[in-house]
Amino acid sequence: MGTSQPVLRVIQGGPQEDRRAFLRELYTKHGGSVLGRCRYLLKDTAKAEDAMHDVFARALTHAGDYRAEASPLTWLMKIATHHCLNQIRSERAGWRGWFEREEAAKPEGHGGAQAMETRDLVRRLLSRVDVETQTAVIHYHLDGMTLEEVAAALGRSVPTVRKRLEQFAELGGEELRVP
Amino acid sequence: MSAHLSEHPSKWTLSRLHAGELPTDEATRARTHAADCEQCGAVLREAQEAQSQFEAEIPFERFEEGVNRAEEKARKLERARGSSQRWMGPVVALAATVLLVVAARPLLATNTGTGVRTKGGAVAELRIGGGEGSQRVARTDAPEPLAHGERVRLGYTPETRGFVLALSVDTAGEVTPLYPEAGESLPVEPGPGMHWLPDSIEFTGSGTERVVVLLSDEPVKVEEAIAAAHQAFELGGRDVTQLPPLAVDGDQTHWMLLKP
Repeated sequence: MGTSQPVLRVIQGGPQEDRRAFLRELYTKHGGSVLGRCRYLLKDTAKAEDAMHDVFARALTHAGDYRAEASPLTWLMKIATHHCLNQIRSERAGWRGWFEREEAAKPEGHGGAQAMETRDLVRRLLSRVDVETQTAVIHYHLDGMTLEEVAAALGRSVPTVRKRLEQFAELGGEELRVP
Repeated sequence: MSAHLSEHPSKWTLSRLHAGELPTDEATRARTHAADCEQCGAVLREAQEAQSQFEAEIPFERFEEGVNRAEEKARKLERARGSSQRWMGPVVALAATVLLVVAARPLLATNTGTGVRTKGGAVAELRIGGGEGSQRVARTDAPEPLAHGERVRLGYTPETRGFVLALSVDTAGEVTPLYPEAGESLPVEPGPGMHWLPDSIEFTGSGTERVVVLLSDEPVKVEEAIAAAHQAFELGGRDVTQLPPLAVDGDQTHWMLLKP
């Protein structure tokens, strides 16, 4: 018999004030990070802002999951990364052509010349690898996660993540090498 | 900076520090380190600048408006997907019938103890939630409109009854066994208070749906309950709003739900 006392849990659609307060929390804590990720991948200001809205809409819808995460930032950035990678694929922009156009674009980012070079190099090479490797590469080289943090974020083992990053490094040279 | 210097916190750890989500001890260590470390301090400043630039560029009101639009867009997509199939979900694998059973999230937020007392003393309750509005207990004396995304959950207080069965009948007279899907009535959960049948149910089609909970002393075969529902549908002039009680022994509670 499947009956039991119900698990008491707040369902979606709470009072408007709570929702707004939650949205403001998302805005002040994570807005810059998520928009940065969307801009980095989509390279289009309007599309990036729309993608950011999609990511936060999902966070609102799954507020319970967000609250339950040990690292809500990791959760959000995973969603943002997947969302943008999926969008690029679904638009059938052609990764290769898209990233070739990127080469002519002005580099963006912070952290000095080497960091900018790494960001640009990573972006140019992403189209050559599978989705999971793309995600691992972004978390490692862009977000600055450790191997362990990437492995935890993706639910993979450290050796698996390392192998994927090493394969990626073979495409790009010394600066992408995994120590 | 290199994000992976062994003596420094990872860049990601500093990002999490900036987001305010590091545990206290770890946050203290990272903050202390960053105060004396040019490289790590620069990472923190970079995160702060990115957030400040974001807030200057996109005011909260514009952000909120955009997220609301995105939510509405997602809802429309969900409705479009839902309207293409009447039953979905991991629990009930019924093809081309009526309902969507959502197993992932418990529906209930509170248990007020209110219910619909039927003639034999058993109490059944149908609770609606999961949409934009607050939860509510469905009335039995009037049709209950459902909004998009709202789900229902069925509960009962068995009193002296020993078995429970639930089914639904739609506008076309199609009968769907809900609990159980086959076999015979489920033995009730012992003990006082309201017991909730598993999973919440989302009605995704349109029109009227009548939900019936039957509490009985003896188990009732699902086939017999379905046959009784078909018979009642005919007796009601093939109008689900006029469905009389099913010709089976036990306490029955009926609800009329108006699907969005």
